[in-house]
Amino acid sequence: MKERLVLAPFSVASLPDSALADHALRIVQALLVDLDSAGAILVASVDGFKLAHGGRLGSDPARLAAMASSMAALGDTTSRETGIGAPSCMLIESNDGRLVVRSMQLRGRSVVVVLLIGKDLPLDRVKNSLAATEARLAEG
Amino acid sequence: MKNFKIVFTGPPGVGKTTAIAALSDLPPARTEVRNTDATLGPTHTTVAMDFGQVDLGRGECARLFGTPGQARFEFMWRIVAADAAGVVILIDNSRADPLGEFVAYLEAYRDLLPQMTFVAGIVRTEVCRQPTLDDYAEQLAARGLAFPVLEVDVRRRDDVQVMVDMLLTKARSRL
Repeated sequence: MKERLVLAPFSVASLPDSALADHALRIVQALLVDLDSAGAILVASVDGFKLAHGGRLGSDPARLAAMASSMAALGDTTSRETGIGAPSCMLIESNDGRLVVRSMQLRGRSVVVVLLIGKDLPLDRVKNSLAATEARLAEG
Repeated sequence: MKNFKIVFTGPPGVGKTTAIAALSDLPPARTEVRNTDATLGPTHTTVAMDFGQVDLGRGECARLFGTPGQARFEFMWRIVAADAAGVVILIDNSRADPLGEFVAYLEAYRDLLPQMTFVAGIVRTEVCRQPTLDDYAEQLAARGLAFPVLEVDVRRRDDVQVMVDMLLTKARSRL
């Protein structure tokens, strides 16, 4: 289907705020250090624009940013519908790896952080790294 | 109970979420987030899908799904359209190139057009009279297609109901 899309009549998306993108890059760098460069990391705006990424994603970063935005929104909506509160993270466990999606606040804006990791990396460590990164961001 | 799946698609800000909210018996599930794209009008935009449901009476109900509008979410268009009884394409006549957007959606759904029922709802025709419904019909005819093209106000339940009824009339005949 992708190759059949005619994109010209659609609006051209604005580039993300460069300061926000700089901060997003710091998230990527911090997580890559925390996780010993395991896997790949992408930070997207809540409405699906890529802000920064690092490591080997195995997918077009712009496309993955849009998918991450959809996943985060579905997770949030499903959590609200089922009355279990705001989601802290979402996990996709597949045969050859894991995808962890977490929403964070960055400079007063919500962003979506995606980690693509191997199954050998303990999930607790990943969650702790994400929480520590979010805490550091909150401290400024 | 017979259960039909209806999909609302179209460019950002055309009123897909509004249309579903107008017809749904319950407040729809939404996945709207703050829009960071300065080229778009709405402050919020759908990034995954909307979902509503309407009891049609006589043992029938319709599940109403809305797609995100932006082309970067095209992967959701196919996911949402799977197994649908029909698709409503909404086009805003007051935008710069409504016919171009209509054609873009015909192209995007090209391989589903022969197997699914479609209706086009043209909004904000009171703001901009051109192009006319005939212009849209000509675009369809040029591609060997024919399906209803209507002027609608998606805030009005009756208008949305008419589009869904048109889709379901054909969908029922296929059962």
